[in-house]
This record gives sequence, structure tokens and C-alpha cells, in this order.
Amino acid sequence: MARTYVLGLGNVLMGDDGFGPSVVRAFLQRYVVGPDVEVIDLGTPGLDLTPWLTDAHHVVFVDTVKADLPAGTMKIYDKADLTRHAPFARIGPHDPGVKECVLTLEFAGRAPAHITIVGVVPSSCQMSLDLSPALAAAVSPAADAVARVLAEHGDDVRPRTSDAVGDVDAPWWQPVTPAGSLATSQL
Amino acid sequence: MSTHITVDPITRIEGHLRIDVEVDGGVVKKAWSSGQMFRGIERILEGRDPREAWVFTQRFCGVCTTVHAIASVRAVENALKLEIPKNAQYIRNLIIAAHAMHDHIVHFYQLSALDWVDVTSALKADPAKTAALAASISDWPGNSRQQFEQVKGRLAKFVEGGQLGIFTNGYWGHPAMKLSPEVNLLAVSHYLQALDYQRKVNQVVAILGSKTPNIQNLAVGGVANAINLDNQATLNMQKLYEVKSLLDSVQQFIEQVYFVDVCAIGAMYADWLKHGSGVTNYLSVPDLPLDSKGTQFDFPGGTIFNGDLAKITPITSFEDEYFRKNVSESIAHSWYDGEWQKHPWEEETVPKYTPYDANKKYSWIKSPRIDGKVMQVGPLAQVLVGFAQGHEPTKRWAAKTLETAGKVAGAQLTPAVLHSTLGRHAARMIRCAVISELAQKHWQLLAENIGKGDVAIFNEPVFPKGEQQGFGFHEAPRGTLSHWVVIEDGKIKNYQAVVPSTWNAGPRDAQDQAGPYEASLVGNPIADPERPLEVLRTVHSFDPCIACAIHTVDVEGNEIARVKAL
Repeated sequence: MARTYVLGLGNVLMGDDGFGPSVVRAFLQRYVVGPDVEVIDLGTPGLDLTPWLTDAHHVVFVDTVKADLPAGTMKIYDKADLTRHAPFARIGPHDPGVKECVLTLEFAGRAPAHITIVGVVPSSCQMSLDLSPALAAAVSPAADAVARVLAEHGDDVRPRTSDAVGDVDAPWWQPVTPAGSLATSQL
Repeated sequence: MSTHITVDPITRIEGHLRIDVEVDGGVVKKAWSSGQMFRGIERILEGRDPREAWVFTQRFCGVCTTVHAIASVRAVENALKLEIPKNAQYIRNLIIAAHAMHDHIVHFYQLSALDWVDVTSALKADPAKTAALAASISDWPGNSRQQFEQVKGRLAKFVEGGQLGIFTNGYWGHPAMKLSPEVNLLAVSHYLQALDYQRKVNQVVAILGSKTPNIQNLAVGGVANAINLDNQATLNMQKLYEVKSLLDSVQQFIEQVYFVDVCAIGAMYADWLKHGSGVTNYLSVPDLPLDSKGTQFDFPGGTIFNGDLAKITPITSFEDEYFRKNVSESIAHSWYDGEWQKHPWEEETVPKYTPYDANKKYSWIKSPRIDGKVMQVGPLAQVLVGFAQGHEPTKRWAAKTLETAGKVAGAQLTPAVLHSTLGRHAARMIRCAVISELAQKHWQLLAENIGKGDVAIFNEPVFPKGEQQGFGFHEAPRGTLSHWVVIEDGKIKNYQAVVPSTWNAGPRDAQDQAGPYEASLVGNPIADPERPLEVLRTVHSFDPCIACAIHTVDVEGNEIARVKAL
């Protein structure tokens, strides 16, 4: 089991909400991590997030954040920031989000020791496969910020040598990549 | 004088479920269910390669990922009349089963148990008495006195620290909370243990799907899991045994913990077997196919009308005509242009928002119908459709549930009590127990088939010129899911997903027939209009999944659900 997780959250079909997954991809293109660090695009998992948080040492979330600031502004939060306010009431399986998963694990005594949120204020989360210009410009700085917080926490992260990006998944959601036929061609 | 209550949670998710109820004399008289987000996400597929549709559809919803992937490949295969190898069916079935067990366990413990369990009351429990009670109903090794003491201590520390953490904003001390402190402590302990089984069953999906929550192993025509028992990189003996041991472990939890908790908690709220029936027309499609074509299944499908279990209209294959011809969607009260009721292949999605008006348009959700009738979908429909067709494991688990809960409640319980809010919880657990048995069966089928030397996993799809129509259904954890595709010259021309929560959460139709959520709330008691716990109980019993697809963390704000009682 990994010690540290970098989790990109958000929906790539919903415009700026795809920021987290986009940063995960940019990060993997530019950095390599040691075997103790796992970097994943998780989509919009709700409570399905907990398996990745349980007993972890450090979790870095990359996500859009709600704040009264211009679109594209990057904000870094820690665990205390995240858990300061009470969680919301539950209606559906999506309602419990990052905070609720962390608080549940906190009660179980199994929450991550350290949490960092690399957040960016979105412009528009409407159906689209593209990020708005403000968020597209924030992808690289956010990937660098992820590398920085990993290094600060003693996690193994190094810049990638220029020609070694071949094993990074193609961004299937853009441009049109026949992901189905990719899967079949591997047979 | 009647009171109007609006439950409109402001979550970090843009778009969610809003419920309005009219209460008179402490009882709900009328209810409205409204989806607050436009969900026309299917349009993103127009013009794309049908082989890649599933990769997109599994991002429709972050919780129901695999189910949209499965329905999508089935729809395209149906359009092409493409059969898939048996191994591919079995591997898909194992993913389907693992995903369902995961959802049901998470729903009961993490999402809905706290509607019935008063966490703060557990502080008054005697751990020794709790252990004695637990030992009298289950052999589960995780029910020791020490464990209960530990959980109680942890809870006390939380409360003393002045912070309830995850339990803030619960309806603690509400007059409708009725469990003894010991049962509350038992439930809180299992709430914590459930986290481990959520993780274990999720690993099954990860091993077979190569990643979760978004699996990578599907293909139109089969799966991409190369099988070679001696190869490290493929599906091999070691991975198969890893899956088996995870399935064993989760099955034990379901049978010794989940089953017992639902029976025990349910028995103590027996009056909730009288509330929440609502719509008693049920729809469930067959699933866990056993052949390459989809004509034989481990779960039967069909429709039931007016709760009459003696009369069932079966749905029997992936080509089923009755299902294909009779599904339609109404937009009479939904924010789309027009008033039509159409078959999914004929639909166009033109949003047209007008202010919320319960007498006109009030929801983004459409109203699906079978032959013009409102249908309830979900585990209760699954169990009743199975029961009515003599499905052995379903009948056995249903009988065991009614007997066990009846013993605790001191009453004779018949299948008729399942038409209720609590019945939906019981049915979800019954379905989960049955599917954990069937997961074992499909693991066996896969291992035996590979053992015979069959390693086929994929049949190549071929797209002819011209137009093809296809539909693919899947009986997902929350009920019947169907994807409808029109393909023209190898490209997607139209795509519609009719999702389980649409069947249940949809608004009234042109005939003013209320949807299942709306109908099930009528007659519910409301003890305190400012804290409408009872509304949440009934709505949660459906396991709603409405606010799909967007994620934003709110670190700076301090928002809670908005409950308005006027």
C-alpha cells in the first residue's frame, strides 16, 4: 500500500471541474514518483474516496475550490482548514465529499496524518471537455505545487527526463481518442 | 393549518435533489421531488465512435461509474447483434457483483443508518450488555466487549472534545429515534468496521477492472483482461485467488453483520413497515448473463403492477421486445421544451428552464414510464420480481429476513410488509446477500471455463453502413439502468441514458401520476417540521443518486442543509 496519494478530483466532462484530472496528467508528464507515492485521477467519487485515505500518511487532493476569488486563483489548504467547519447533512451518495470522508476516518482513528489541498477557483463547470483559459493556465503551476508539497513532506518526487513520458496515459477525453479501440488493440 | 417543508440541501455539488412536502396534522399530505441540475450529458457523445462511448459514460456519475460502462457496451453490442465470449460475461458479472455489494454496504452504514441510529445515545450503552446482545444474534468475531468499550471510549473523547466531527448536524435526540443505547453502540461499531469491507470489495473491482473507480478493462465485444494463468501481467491464478479470498471475506460480513443489523434495527422500527409504500408497480431487468448472447440469466427480470406478486410480465433477454417497446419518458413537468412523452430513441434534449412551479414545471428529471405507468425500481423491485418468479436464493433470503426480524419484533411478518420504507432497506440487504452468493458462483464459472482451456475474451465489433439502433440494460444497485443508442455510419447519432434515480425521483407526468419518491412520502408522520427526519428516512431508503458529476471542495464556507418550514 502506498504511503502517499495524489488524487485528482473532478469531472472531465464538466469544463473546469476537470481541473484535478488534468493536473494529474500534467504532473505525471513532468515528474516521476517513488513506489510509495500513487498518483490517480479519481473522478467524482463521493464516499468511494475512503479506500484511498484509510491509514495513509499524506494525501494531496487536486480539486476546484469554492472561494470568493478570481477564477484561476490557486489556494493551498491543510487538514485543519478542511475539517474546521461542520460537515453537511447527507442526502445522496455524492453529498459526503472529501471533508466527510476525512471526518469519518478521523472518528475511526484512521485518517491520513497529513492532507494538502491544491485548489483552484473555477470559472465555469458546464458541460465541456475543455478548461477555461484561466484554468488551463493554472494546470502547470498546480502540477509544480503538487511536486513541491510532496518534497516538503519527504516524499520521493523527481523531475522527469524529457523523453520518458511514453507511459503516461493519453488524455482520452480530448482530443477524440478511440479509447475503446485502444483497449482492443492491446489484445 | 398545513405546513410546507422544503428540504433543499446546499452542498458543494452544483445540482441536487430538492424535496417539498405539505404537512397537515403531523402527516405528509402531498410531496414533490425535484432534480436541480440539468443532466443532458449524453449530448457529449454525439458524433463519437461507439466503441469509446463507455469511457465517457462512466464519467456521467462518480459513484455509479462501472454501471454506465456496462450499460453502454451492452447497448452498442445490441445494436450490432454482437455476442461476447463467456469469460467476458463472467468477468463483467464479477465486477457488477462487487460494485453492487460495495454500494449496498456503503449505503446502509455510511449514508442511511444514521437516520435510525442515534450516535450520542451510544454513550449511555453498557458494552458488556451490547456484547451479550450481539452474541445472541450473530457469530461475528468483531462483536467483543473490548471492541465495544473501545468504540464507546472513542465516541466519548469526541464528544468531550466539544466536537462531533462527522456526526455534527445529525438529528440526535430526535423523538423519532427509538433504539436502545446498546443497539446504537452496536451499530456505530459496525459503521466503523464497514469501512474495511468497503475497501476489500473495492479491491475486487480494482483487480478485474485494473483501476477503480473508473475501470479500464471493458471493450465493445468483451473485455480486455488477457487470460494466461502463468503470466504475471495478465489475469492469472494468483489474481483469481486474491479475488476469491476478498469475496469470501465480504460475504461473511454481509451474512453475519449487515443481515443481522438490518433485521435487528428494522424490527425495532416496525411501524416503518407501514409507511412509505407509494408506487407498487415494480420494474427489474434480468442480469448476470450466463451465455454469450444474453438469453439466460442468474437474476430474473420483469414487471409487477399494483403489488400483485401473482402476476408477472417477464423480461427475458437482451433483445426483450416488451422492454424495448414500452419504455417512454414524459417531460410534462420537467424543464424541457414541450409536453411530449417519447421513446428514448425518439427523444431530443432541449432544456427550457422556467421558475419552480409545482403545478407546471419543477424538475430537471424526466418521468420514465412502462406502458404509461409509473414504476418503482431498485432493490425492492429486484427482490419482488425475483420472489414472484420463484428465484430460489431471493426467496430463501427474504424468508430468513422476515423470520429473523419477526422474531425480534414479536410479530409474524409477511412479504407484504416489504412495500415500505424499511422494506426497501431489507430488500437491499437481501439483494446484497444473494449477489454475494452469486459472485462466488460466477467466480467458479470463470475458473472452470478457463480450466477447460477457453481463454477467449473479445469478439471484434464491425460497424455496417447505415443506421442501427441498440439498447443495453443493467440492473444496477439503484435499479434498472438502460442506455439507448442510435448509430449512423459507425458514429453515434443519438444517445440516451435512462437512469435508476430518474425512474424513482421523476416528477408527475401528463396524467398527474406522482413519481415513486413523491408517492412514498404521502402518509409519513412528521414529528418536528423543523427537523424532518422522517422525510430523509423515506427518501434515503431509495438510495438517491441525483447530483451526479461535479466536484468542488468547500473549505471556506460553513454550509448546512437548508430546511425551510413555512
